[in-house]
Amino acid sequence: MKVYEESGCFDPHSIPDCQELMGLPGPTPTNCHNSLEDTLNVSSYNHHHHEDASAALDMEPHQHYLLDNTTNSHSHLIPYLTQDLPYDQSHWESFNVLPSSSPEADAAATAAAGAYTTTPDLLSLFHLPRCSFLPNPSISFETTPGSPSVVYDPLFHLNLPPQPPVFRELLQSLPHGYTVPADDKDAAGVGGLYHDGDNGIIQFTRDISMAGRAKDRDKAGKTTKHFATERERRVHLNDKYQALRTMVPSPTKNDRASIVDDAIKYIKELLGTVRELQILVDKKRCGQERSKRLKTEDAASAADAGDVECKPLGDPDQCYNTSLRSSWLQRKSKDSEVDVRIVDDEVTIKLVQRKKINCLLFVSRLLDELQLDLQHVAGGNIGDYYSFLFNTKIYEGSSVYACAIANKLINVVDRQYAAAPPTNSTSL
Amino acid sequence: MDMEFLTELNELAITDHQRLTGGRMGRRKLEDDDDNNNSKEFKSKNLQAERRRRQKLSDRLLTLRSLVPIITNMNKATIIDDAITYIQELQKTSQVLSEQLLEMEGSSEESVMPMKLEIDVAQHDMKKCGIKEEVKVSNIDGNKFLIKIIVEKKRGCFTQLIEAMNYLGFELSETNVTTFSGAMLFSSCVHGKYGDTLMVEHIEELLSEMMRSMKTSSQSAIELGNTN
Repeated sequence: MKVYEESGCFDPHSIPDCQELMGLPGPTPTNCHNSLEDTLNVSSYNHHHHEDASAALDMEPHQHYLLDNTTNSHSHLIPYLTQDLPYDQSHWESFNVLPSSSPEADAAATAAAGAYTTTPDLLSLFHLPRCSFLPNPSISFETTPGSPSVVYDPLFHLNLPPQPPVFRELLQSLPHGYTVPADDKDAAGVGGLYHDGDNGIIQFTRDISMAGRAKDRDKAGKTTKHFATERERRVHLNDKYQALRTMVPSPTKNDRASIVDDAIKYIKELLGTVRELQILVDKKRCGQERSKRLKTEDAASAADAGDVECKPLGDPDQCYNTSLRSSWLQRKSKDSEVDVRIVDDEVTIKLVQRKKINCLLFVSRLLDELQLDLQHVAGGNIGDYYSFLFNTKIYEGSSVYACAIANKLINVVDRQYAAAPPTNSTSL
Repeated sequence: MDMEFLTELNELAITDHQRLTGGRMGRRKLEDDDDNNNSKEFKSKNLQAERRRRQKLSDRLLTLRSLVPIITNMNKATIIDDAITYIQELQKTSQVLSEQLLEMEGSSEESVMPMKLEIDVAQHDMKKCGIKEEVKVSNIDGNKFLIKIIVEKKRGCFTQLIEAMNYLGFELSETNVTTFSGAMLFSSCVHGKYGDTLMVEHIEELLSEMMRSMKTSSQSAIELGNTN
């Protein structure tokens, strides 16, 4: 992540560097002018997207603070920059996620509303230790906590005192995901502050693996977004899309729409699997109860306990589990496609694979392992492909489910050597 | 004042052109536009395509949102977050349920009985319908044969047949299996992998022998199963 390596640029003692660091997309000491241009371009591009407008707003204030007292060629732009803001303000209400700011910045900002005389105060803020107002200073990500927290209160420069209170109210109305931590007593009074007690978002971007990310999020139950730049926000969002992609079993194209589509299909599939498993568990439980009952009642007829359809009429604990189990799953891999449909106790499997090797042997071994009774098989070689259709029946007493079949099948077909997978239903 | 403002903006190249095409996707087209004389056409095609792309993405995000019981905020980033959390939840639930199922399966004794019953039923049915076991091989062309086998249906007999085919060096180009009344009809178009042309009778003999050994081996397997 390149942006995180910019800590080298962050030098509280040199103003020109600071100004570049304050959220400009590609800050290097030599790129002062270009990056400013970029920033402004970014802001104007993004005024279409309400969620990006926060970044646009973010760009302006620090420029006010910093450029004011510097003999910078861009300083003449400042009065004009403010005029850009009205359109961003219209998106103000639609912000759900706002970058955090520090208590000192708020105090300074409210004092400085409209009058840019507090630049010295703000500059002195840069001398503060970077993570002093973050409850968890162990975050190795050093640049952004300090800098954006100073800068991000979008409307301070606009000489509108009521705004911070609105901000505060807005914060208070935010869902439980955003809270003001108890640590920052100073901050609590002045609006516009929310922190993640832990490093939810920051680690999020560093570490693609979902397990770690989920844990970080749930540790505090809060998330916070410290976006120093629009680019970071984009990178962040892209990481989330990639994370979503890794969760899906057979991801297709790598563009956002496909990722979301795959996620939708996978969620529906998971819901179906959970429902199917629930039905199976219930059926099994019924069967067990019944067999227990039969055993205690009549030892001789316990032999028939395996036949689930045979219910004695006067049975008080009869479970009317008449729900017909039906499920449909597809799995695709690079060379093969598997389609598994289950209706009650009949399983239909379609298999298409591109390899040359005839996998019929492995598949039939797997079907035996899964206790599926072959009723009909049809298929063969078509061009480069082998395509098969299996009609099978589930043996009595087996509680195999669609997802397991599909996953095992695709594994076997892909690997080509597995004689039989070890257990019945551990893979998901 | 305004004029100055505009010129300043122009200097910084904040123009409509850039606004429309300078977004994430549009940036790609920027270089082409400069060179293109009819950049207006180009721009509008791209604009429509871009709009459609965004519309498609936003529709799908909406669908995703509708599926997930969202807990946090309703913006693009959190919907993805919430989807991830929800998927994990569902995966955990199905894991738990399948483990439960596995436990229950381990403790039940239902599965052993049906096998013996099946076989008796199968034999009985076959005799009733007058279906006879059979092995028939016909030569189609050089190395290609059409093999037809009728055998008593048992657990795992299909696997054994395929194993037999493999052993004989046959590659099954087309296979068809049907079951009826406890009998299984296996019909397949095969061609010999090993180059040497086997005689039809030879193949029939080998197959019949294999089927007989299949029968005896499966019998002992059943007996083993029954004693467990």
